[in-house]
Order: sequence, then structure tokens, then C-alpha cells
Amino acid sequence: MAEGGGTNVLNENVPVYEHVEVNSKPFHLDSFRDLWLSVLKPEDYSFNQTSGEIEDAQFIEEMGITPETLEELKTICSPDSLRCHSEDEAPDPDVVPADPQLATLKLRKRRLDYKKTLIRDNVGRHDAYANEMEMLSLGRRAEDASDTVPEGEIVLTFNVIYPVLFERFKHVRAYQTLHVLGSQKLTELRDAICCVSDLQVFGEFSNTPDMVPQFISKDHYKSAFFFFEGIFYNDMRFPECRDISSVTREWTKSRDFPEFKTAKMEEATFSDLRVKVGFPYLYCHQGDCEHVLILTDVRLIHKDDCLDRKLYPLLSHKHRVVTRKCCVCHLYISRWITTNDTLAPMDPCLYCDQCFRLLHYDQHGNKLGDFQAYAYVDPGAFN
Amino acid sequence: MDYFKQTLKTDCEDLLGRFQATASVRFEEFSAIWREMKFSSVFYGILEPSEKKVFTRLALSTASPYLLPPYSFQIRVGGLYLLYSLYSTQLNTPKERIRIALKDWDDLIHFQQDAVNAQHYDVVYVLRKLLYEKAFCFTAMPDTLSFQVKKKRVDRRQQLCESFVDRPSRPQELIGTDVLEELANVHEHYEGLKKAILPQPPQSNLSLIKHNLVPKLRNSVLTFYSWQQNQADFDSQIDRDAGEGTSSQDESSRRAQLLASIKSRSYAQAVEASKSRRHRQMEVTSAARDTESTQQVSRFKRPLSLKARTNSRFMAQGSQNAELQSITRLWRLTEVEGKKTEGKTKTRFSWKERMRSKH
Repeated sequence: MAEGGGTNVLNENVPVYEHVEVNSKPFHLDSFRDLWLSVLKPEDYSFNQTSGEIEDAQFIEEMGITPETLEELKTICSPDSLRCHSEDEAPDPDVVPADPQLATLKLRKRRLDYKKTLIRDNVGRHDAYANEMEMLSLGRRAEDASDTVPEGEIVLTFNVIYPVLFERFKHVRAYQTLHVLGSQKLTELRDAICCVSDLQVFGEFSNTPDMVPQFISKDHYKSAFFFFEGIFYNDMRFPECRDISSVTREWTKSRDFPEFKTAKMEEATFSDLRVKVGFPYLYCHQGDCEHVLILTDVRLIHKDDCLDRKLYPLLSHKHRVVTRKCCVCHLYISRWITTNDTLAPMDPCLYCDQCFRLLHYDQHGNKLGDFQAYAYVDPGAFN
Repeated sequence: MDYFKQTLKTDCEDLLGRFQATASVRFEEFSAIWREMKFSSVFYGILEPSEKKVFTRLALSTASPYLLPPYSFQIRVGGLYLLYSLYSTQLNTPKERIRIALKDWDDLIHFQQDAVNAQHYDVVYVLRKLLYEKAFCFTAMPDTLSFQVKKKRVDRRQQLCESFVDRPSRPQELIGTDVLEELANVHEHYEGLKKAILPQPPQSNLSLIKHNLVPKLRNSVLTFYSWQQNQADFDSQIDRDAGEGTSSQDESSRRAQLLASIKSRSYAQAVEASKSRRHRQMEVTSAARDTESTQQVSRFKRPLSLKARTNSRFMAQGSQNAELQSITRLWRLTEVEGKKTEGKTKTRFSWKERMRSKH
């Protein structure tokens, strides 16, 4: 932190706070990585453990002590000296000790006691599975050695926040967390972000419910861009891609903003970026589906991380949404939405595929009544 | 999980406070306190597996600031032991890592060097063991950041536990080289103006400021610094900052002296020097803008600076009229506190400023 008036500002690529505990100043990610590697010894970030004897020998040599002193140190500093109970009676780690002294434990006890008084019919499955995705990838090794992530690679953690499409997203910051490697292209992150607006199917299909095309918006409208630090990174991989950031840029020209640059998403890797940690950026696709994107963390890869290159971008957290069920069976997730429906209790109305067909068509597949039907993709489809 | 932050802090400070009371940096002492407090049980009673990791991360991130300056050497040793103990007693597999930011790494290496020089083998051993076990996670920032602007300002202020901090070297901080240089310039300018106004050699009622003000100020700071150094050497504690041992008595006597000199100067008849004042004012705003970001940071965690306190006291005297106050800018060595806010709003909305400047 800037002590004494920040006299020693060494390098602009050493990340420092711009606003304390909110975001950092911008820095170049690749230079940041090089700076870390230059101050660390290779064994500090290596995936392999140096053997204990070598480490001991080094320590003895560097400190100029006798092996006996080291042995003494080892016994004194061993984690066993921190054990708070006698050797044979290990307490149950799931139970708060009866008479807690620590303020944290007192608080936890209070909270747990309160939790017990709550009557809950259904146990939230979300709590139970919250950890699941993180655990899946932990310590994964690549099957093929050539897919192993190199030592000293940087891992970026992005929180992709869902757009406020639904009323219920207004009060929570629903997001998914994705980890990418510094050497990966921006397009790899773009492909990994899953959003319901990519899955929409447009058109009215009440007359031909079996003819719903399999083309989703993702295949139709391939343009997208990331916005980082004044640069629009456009996805231009396909001939039909357009620079959808141009609208924004044209607008800013008449509004006296600084000049914005553009770049190609498929040509930029994350290491090339110059960004702020903790600062909101933008991912925009489908024309107007705008996701705020926050780079929450940049760090060197660790041997306990997922080391399989193929698994990146790695999804580690996903906000789970309560799915909307069919209004007939209240069991299955809705697939259809109807309007102006004389058979429906409300307008618009949601149906699962089966109920929709049973209710709206006779056995020969003829349409009954007058209504419009559209394909519906539930926001909880990714749960 | 954030609700545990405050209690964790209390617990850590309690533990470190007890460790400080032992006036030792030995791991035996630390582990004895740890056992006495049954600190391992801090991880007990977490029912959900996902909470376990989050809580461990929180515990480690609460403890890690104690490893870094501005805390005193002993507290930093305590912080290291605390991190080591939390790391090794946590119930997760694989273990949650201790985050260390790039900007703090140098401090850690210096700390290790200090410990080596002072032959605190247990400190070095614990640090090396953590490194050897790959307990550190080399990150960009000490915490993950997600632009939580609305979070209460209170916990953003990072309240430092004052008793853990070495008394900072405020006189050195206040009177740095650039201040001295600026002062010398101002002084020169002032002398020049006086000469321009009066063709004769200045009369006694105009020589309000000593001629050798700058060197004298520098000397007194140096004397103070060397005294402080001696005091620190005398003390067995060795710290890189060597800020140890500034007695509060000395500081307050200095403050009294400063106050007295300020008063004596301002009560004397003020010199008419509007031109020079204008020149000063311009410099002040530019300086305020330069140092704006750092001030913003430091304002949160430090108590009011000596300058600010002097300023408030002096203004609170109430015996000065407005004209005298405006003239005080002549000798007030740095910028006026009130100016900061102006510079701040300007830099924050840079686009608007641009627009304003164009129209």
C-alpha cells in the first residue's frame, strides 16, 4: 500500500489499489506474470515438490546451523504443537465446542442454534451442490502430458454477471465464475459463457409444433464483443460477424468521449490485456444482451489447481435459478409459451412439451382453438 | 460468511495481543497461547462443506495483513505464525492457500532477511516451510475484488490496531526532501520580493523569518532521526523501518514548539505580498492533484496527521481574522487541507471535466 505518500512507485505493472478494496489500477497481465516469475524461485511455483532432504540441507547451509538445531526447530514448529486436545481424544470437528472462548465460535454457535429453530420443509439442494463444480476440477491432471498447463501460467477469474432480464435478478447479483488461462484467446471465454439469450428460437409455431427449427440465436447472430479499458474486442471469426460495437462508437463520437479503439477478439489473448482487477467491463452478444464482466482475481497457477488445459475455461460457480414449471402438470420445466390462448388460465401461459400437445391438439395433430405459441427457454436451463 | 469477519479479527487481535505481551518472537510462546485459546476449534462446527472453504479463505485473508507493514516486527512474526497455524490446522483437502500479492512480496522478502539477520531461526523455518509446502498463492491483489462499492465504508477503512503498529516517523514524513526544496524555493522567492519592494537592506520589522530556515529545519529532523535510530538500536527489536521508540513525549514537545513558532509568526504583522500568494496558490492546486490518489488511501487508515492537527488547533484559536488566515498560506508549507476535495471530484469525473473544458 502506498505508505509515506507513495514515494516508491516502482512499476506500473505491479498491481495496486485504485480504490481500496474495490478495484486495482490497470496493469498489463503478461508483464505482471513476468514480474512474479522474476521475483520467485522456480521451485516456488513448480508443480513438483522438492524433496525434503534437499530443502533441509539448503536450510542448514543458508542459515549456518547444525542438523540438531534443525531437528529441534522441526519439533518445535511442527503443526502437532498446535493441537488443542490430547492425542487420543480428537473432538468432532462438526460440533462447536460446548464452552467457546473465541468470538467467532460464539457467533457461529449463536447462528447454528438459531438455524436449528427454523423449520424448513425442504432442504435447499443448492447448498448441497454449491461446492460441486469446484470440487470436480480440483487437482485434475491432464491425461495427455502435452495438455498440461505450463508452470508459471496465470489464471484469471471472471465473474460474468447475468443481465437484469428478469425481475428477480434485480436484487441479487447473479453470476457465473469462469477461470481462464493467460494464454487463451478471448474467443474461448466467449464460447464458454452460457446465456439463455443464445438459445432462443424466434417465430410463432402454433400451426406446426413439430417443425420448430433447431437453429438457435447463437447460430444466427454470431457477433459479440468484449469491452476492456477503452478497447472493443469484436468477434470476427465468421463471415457473417459484424462489428456491433460501431453503434456505440458512433454515438460516443458525437458525445465528446475519448477515442475508443477496436481489436479482434480472436487475435487477442488474455495476457495481452491491460486491465483493472475488480473493475466492471462488458460482454455484449445477441445485439443487446449485455453482461457485466468483472475480473476478480489474477494469480499464478498452483499445483492443486486443475492442470488440464482442455478443461479451461473452467466453470466454478453458477447461479442457480428456480425453474418455471408447466402450468398444467407443475412438474416439468416449461418449453412453450402461449398468448391469446382461450384454453389457458392466464396470458401468457407456460407449458411443458407434453401438456402443450395434449391440451392444444387433437390426436391427429390438429390445432384446437385460437392461440399463438412460441418456444420458451427457461433461464434455469443451465442449472 | 462476511459476518465472521469482525469476530475473526477480534480473535486474531486477541491472540496477537497476548503474543505481544510475551515480548518474544519464539514459536513456543505462540503455540502455547494458541493451545490455551483452543484456536484450532475456530474451524469446528461448520456443517456445509462449501462453507468450510469460504470460511477458511476468510480466516486466512483476515490474518494475512498482520504479516505486512505497517505492523511492528513482532506482530508480523505473530502474523506469520498465525497464518502458518491456520493453514496447517484447516480441515480442507486440498488446503486453501494463503494469498500474497505482488506488491507485498518485497516486504515479505525483507522481513525474511531481517529474521535471518537477527537469527530468528524459527521465523525463517516457518516461512520456508510454508513456501516449501506451496502454501502461498501468488496473486495480483490481496483479495478477490468484485467492485463492491456499496460495502460499508467502515470495513473498507481497514482499521489498524494501533498498539500493533510501530510509531511512525511523522516528522520525517512531514518534512521530506521535496517539502524542503519547495520551502527553499518559496523562501528564495520571498526574499526576492522583499528586495524588489524595498531597495534598502530589509529593516528589522520585515525580517520575520530566519535566513537559514531550511537548513535548520533539515538539521533538526536529521538530529531527531539519528536519535530515533540510536533508540531503535538500543532496543533489541530490529525492524527495517526502524521507527521503534519514538516516545510520545518527544513528539508532543515538538508539536508544542511548532505551535509556538506558528503562533509567534502569525501574531506578528503580516507582510503584504499578494503576488507571491497567487503564485503559491497555483502551485498548491497542482500539488494537490498529483498526490490526490495517495492521499485518498492514506486518509482512511491514518489518524489525522500532525499537520492537520496543528492546522485544526491553530484555526481553533479563533483569535485570527480572515485576512490573517489567508495570509498564513505564505508560510504554511504544504497545501491547505480543504483544497483536496476540489481536486478529487475533478479527477473522478474526467470525462465531464473534459466536456467542461471544451465548452
